[in-house]
This record gives sequence, C-alpha cells and structure tokens, in this order.
Amino acid sequence: MALRELKVCLLGDTGVGKSSIVCRFVQDSFDPDINPTIGASFMTKMVPRNNEIHKYLIWDTAGQERFRSLAPMYYRGSAAAVIVYDITKEETFHMLKTWVKELQHHGPQNIVVAIAGNKCDLVDMREVQTELAKNYAESIDAIFIETSAKTSINISEMFEEISKKIPCVEPCTNDRPSFKLRPLQLESSSSRCC
Amino acid sequence: MEPDAKAGMAADWERFSHWLHCVCIVTFDLELGQAIEAIYPPHVKLTEKEKTSTCYLAFPDSNSGCHGDTQFTFRFRQSPSRRAIADVIHDVDMPVLLQRDPHYFYGYVYFRQVKDNSLKRGYFQKSLVLLSRLPFVNLFSSVAKLVAPEYFEKLEPCLEAACKDIDRWPNPIPGKTLNLPIMGLVIQVRIPSRSDKFSACTLKQDICENMLPAPLVLSSVHEGDMFRALQPVLPHLQLLWELVLLGEPLVVMATSPAATADTVLALVSSIFPLRYSSDFRPYFTIHDSEFREITSQKQAPPSVILGVTNPFFVKTLQQWPHIVRVGDLRGPADASKQTKIKKVNKLRSLDAKPGVYTSHKTYLTKDRAIIKRLQKGAQRKRPSEVQNAILRRYLMELTHSFIIPLERYVASLMPLQKSITPWKSPPQVGPFVPEEFFKSLEHAGPQLTSVLKGDWVGLYRQFLRSPNFDTWFRARHSEMTQKLELLQLEALLRAASLWSCLYRPAV
Repeated sequence: MALRELKVCLLGDTGVGKSSIVCRFVQDSFDPDINPTIGASFMTKMVPRNNEIHKYLIWDTAGQERFRSLAPMYYRGSAAAVIVYDITKEETFHMLKTWVKELQHHGPQNIVVAIAGNKCDLVDMREVQTELAKNYAESIDAIFIETSAKTSINISEMFEEISKKIPCVEPCTNDRPSFKLRPLQLESSSSRCC
Repeated sequence: MEPDAKAGMAADWERFSHWLHCVCIVTFDLELGQAIEAIYPPHVKLTEKEKTSTCYLAFPDSNSGCHGDTQFTFRFRQSPSRRAIADVIHDVDMPVLLQRDPHYFYGYVYFRQVKDNSLKRGYFQKSLVLLSRLPFVNLFSSVAKLVAPEYFEKLEPCLEAACKDIDRWPNPIPGKTLNLPIMGLVIQVRIPSRSDKFSACTLKQDICENMLPAPLVLSSVHEGDMFRALQPVLPHLQLLWELVLLGEPLVVMATSPAATADTVLALVSSIFPLRYSSDFRPYFTIHDSEFREITSQKQAPPSVILGVTNPFFVKTLQQWPHIVRVGDLRGPADASKQTKIKKVNKLRSLDAKPGVYTSHKTYLTKDRAIIKRLQKGAQRKRPSEVQNAILRRYLMELTHSFIIPLERYVASLMPLQKSITPWKSPPQVGPFVPEEFFKSLEHAGPQLTSVLKGDWVGLYRQFLRSPNFDTWFRARHSEMTQKLELLQLEALLRAASLWSCLYRPAV
C-alpha cells in the first residue's frame, strides 16, 4: 500500500476546540483545561483509504489574534484545512467566514475545506443553527459536520470525509473526477526563497 | 498561571535546550550601534561579553555591500565565568566531530540589509542568530533560512512559534532519522552516529515522492557545500590539507563573512575523520575578546584558523605564515586557475588575487588527477552533491592513509594479554617512541593505501608536534588504558570465582 503524506491545518477562533479535536483524533483523549496553543502544534496520524494510507501531518494553529499573521505558513501546501467554530458562540462563526475568505484568496488551489461546528454536546447553549452553517458550507463546497471533541462525536468521521474528498494521485475509485495534483512543494519553496 | 508567564520558565524549554541555547535578534541602533533587541526564550541568560561578541559577529564587518540577505556561521568562546556544560548522555555515540562544544558557541546568522527610507538610518539592518553548542551547520542554517524571513515580517509571534516548535523536537539521538516540524514544514534529517560507515549514508529523496508537501530533506546535519567553498583554491587542495593536519596558523581572507565561514568550515572538516583540535573562527572580528591574544605580534601566531573580512587584518596579520585569499564564492570560478603559490609578503591588500600565500613546501607530491577530475566536473556542470562526494571521499582516503600507520603502531603499544594477571596491577600502555614508529613505516606505511609519493616521514615528524596529534593520542591512550583496566577486572573476577569454587566448604 502506498503511503501518502497530507498536510492538514486547523484554523479558527481561540477557544473553539481545535487542539481538543486533534487530541481526540490522534490520542483519543480530552483535557478540559488544555493550554492555549503557541504558534502551532504538530501531530501525525495514519488513516487507511482505499489502496493508500493517508498520513496526516496536522498543524494545529493558535487561535489567538497575535498569531494570526502566521497562518499562511500552515495552510501553505496544505491538502486540507479544517475551520472550526464553537456552536455556542456566534462570533466564532463570523470569524470562520473570514478564514474562508483568506483561504480563497491566498490558500492553495484545490484545498479541501471542512467546516466543523464543535461543542455540539452543549445543545442548550447553541447560538449557531445547524441549517445555517450547513447552507453556508454547501455554498462554498465545503464539508460540513458538527463535532464534539469532549464526547467524541464525529471526529474520526470528519477526517474520513476529508480523506474521501482528497483527489487520488492515480485514477482510482473516487466520487470526484481525479486530476493530477500540482506540485505544491514548488509553491512553498518559491515563496520561501529570499 | 497565565500562559505567557509560564512560557518564560526554564522547565518548559528542556527539549529546546538540547538543540539551541537561544535565538538572538541583533539590530542596528543609531546611538548604540549593534545591539541585542531580543533574546528568546526570555529566561536564557548571556553574559555581557557574550552579548557583545554576538552583536559584533552578527553583522558583516566591512561595508562591502552585503545587500539583501546573507547567511553565515560564527563561533566564539563562552565567558570564562560560565560553567562548562555537563556531558550529555547521547553525545557519547556522536562522532567526535559533532559532539557539543563545551567551551564554545556556534552562531548561525541570517542577516538582512535593505534600503528603507522610513528608517532614520535609511537602511533596515537586522540579524537573526541561532546560538547553539552543536556544530550542525547545515541544519541550523536551513532553520535560520526558514525562520528569519518570516520573522522580519511578522516579528515576535513568529519567534515564539519557531522556538515552541523546536521545543517539541525529539532529542538529537545519534543514528536516528528525525522529523523536525517547524513553521509549517517538516525537516527530515539523520543524526550521524559514531558507528556509521564512513561512506556517509544520506537520505534518499525518492522515498518521499508521495509526500504532499515534500518535507525538507537535508542530506546532512553538518556538511555544507565543501566543493564550492574550496573551489577558488582547488589547485592547492593538498597543501591546505597538510596545513590543517599540522595545525598551522591559517587565515582566510574574503570580502564577506559567508565566504570566510564556508571556507574555514570546509578546511576544518577536510581532515575528517580526524578531529581538528585547535581553535577555529569561521568569522573573526577586531572586536573579539581574544583579538589581542590571537593577533599579538610579540609571539608566534597560535595554532588557529581564522576567517576575516576587515581590511585592517591585512596589516595586523602580516607576519602570519599562511594566508588563503578567496573571492566571493558566488562569483565566477576562474580563480581556480591561480595555481601558483604566492609569497606571503605579496599580499598587501584585500584586493589581492585569490590564492594561497605561504612558504610551506608540501611534503607530499601533488595529485593532479583529482584536481583535474573536479575541475572537469565543474566545467560539465556535474551536480554539486557528486562533486562534494568525490572531494570528501578523496580527502577522507588521504587522511585514512595517513592515520592507519599511526593506529597500527599505537595498537602495538598495548601490552600482551598474557601480561595481565590478577596478582599484579594492570600493565601500562607502552610509550610512543617516534623513531620506532618511523621504523614501522618501512613495511606498513601509507604507501600501502596511497599512491602519493613524497616525504611522508617528514610530514609525520611535524604532525607529532602538532595539537591534532596530541588530542588524537590522548584519546587513544585513555581508550587503551580503560580497556586494560577492564581486562584486569575480568581476570580478577575469574580468579575470585575460581578461588570460591576450590575452597567451597563441602556440604
């Protein structure tokens, strides 16, 4: 089986649960008192997909405003981006839209976008309606899923959806027409060149 | 506790400290001159002297138009007040060449100088410096190249993020291939081990064809582009090898610290796997705290290799016996046509032609084949990795040919196994008698492995007086003494168990 490494970044406002989603996905653990991320943390996880193994190189970025300008380093060369908001905080959903815009303007072409409405276990405190978010996701051709890192809802499912949507290197059983990926590393090296 | 306050605590930075001492930002202050603007992680302390050294070494010395971005390496002695670092366990398996330096810091500099009318000085001048005890030139230069340009644009948060990334790196364990995530990229590199075969095992690019994006694969943590560095003086390759082997005082002059640093580092590694044991400064300035000692005209020049760019040194170091003048390494390679060795007194200014200025007569005859092979390769645009592999292999074989007879002779100083008895103290390693060693060369000399003719004995004679020999012999001697003590202990244990068997009371 071929091993394929895929860079994935998590974006979103501070406190929405980006690190908790990654922790749940990679280590199947949850820490309610997790520290705010500095810069970005990095983890990997392997997921089988058809005749390939996808090795996710996950860059879990800091949500704090002061790290905002660093985001291009993490979405540069990414095959997928997970943009996370908190269903109990409406302003985090607005923030999500600015992330989508930034990716559309400066992100890699063909990047798979997934929108995750986290903390879906806190139904009583919901501020963002599912339908609203779902429609928005559809309008930008993004994966939409509500998750809970705390109760482990839809976390691995979300990454499975991402895997499905990532084009194969060679023609294979994919629901989307496959095409050759442009060499993203070229882009990243040229923009780093001084 | 606030996360920011916590970030400053030493305990959080343990992993970081296995790789780097700190990151310094050096800027040009209109009133102070070069000044340290930031040190990260914030708890790391540098003495005033170390700060001064870092400030001066972080900027090019002369205004020779290092416009744009420049990268180079420096090395300076830590303050005497600082305690030498404790041994690190995984260092034992590191090749001696790559062990952390207990008394020195390496600085990996990324310097930017661009016109900026918004600043009073009219120029933006800043350096990002990685300070480390590890001589991982290639790795840290790559890291500086990734971090600095982002830092100059995005400032503090970028530095914080980069240091946090490094603080999550696994320890540099010899023999391991590591994935080192930093700033959204993964650097892949193998840490060499003492038990490596010398045919340097490099990572193959093809294993990661399927990776998206490809990780930054470094073929080595420490080796730079040796061929490019030595190309201007290629015809004098063997002469330089002899000078380095013999620990002769050597100064490299160029117009940029990048050129001096690359050349000095290439020279130091030219005698690999032998360790160059004297001091070396890839970039040395008149502000160095040891400037007076090193350049004193009252005594003979010390055994050291210096890289200098300040024209002032042409005068200060005029009595030095060997001077290597290299041009800008990025320039055309026609300098390699300078095949004649020049007299030192011909060197009057830094504008002098590239070449080697010395009165040293080589002990060994010149090997024209290797120089031709490399020059032809350069003309035909042979890839630099191949040129480097040919050059390193040649130099390593030459060093091996030189060192094998010494190894063989020193092995013969080991007392015979039968002289070890539990009843006496362990026998001593025999003394090194130069004349006996020279005699051994008749039947087991370097002629067995090297085609080079010449005065090998003369070369050995001078080598035996050099610091490189001293360091090498001490290391061998202590290894052998340790082995003898171990054998003695084994003999004692055998005797003791035999004794207890013989005299065990009958049950």
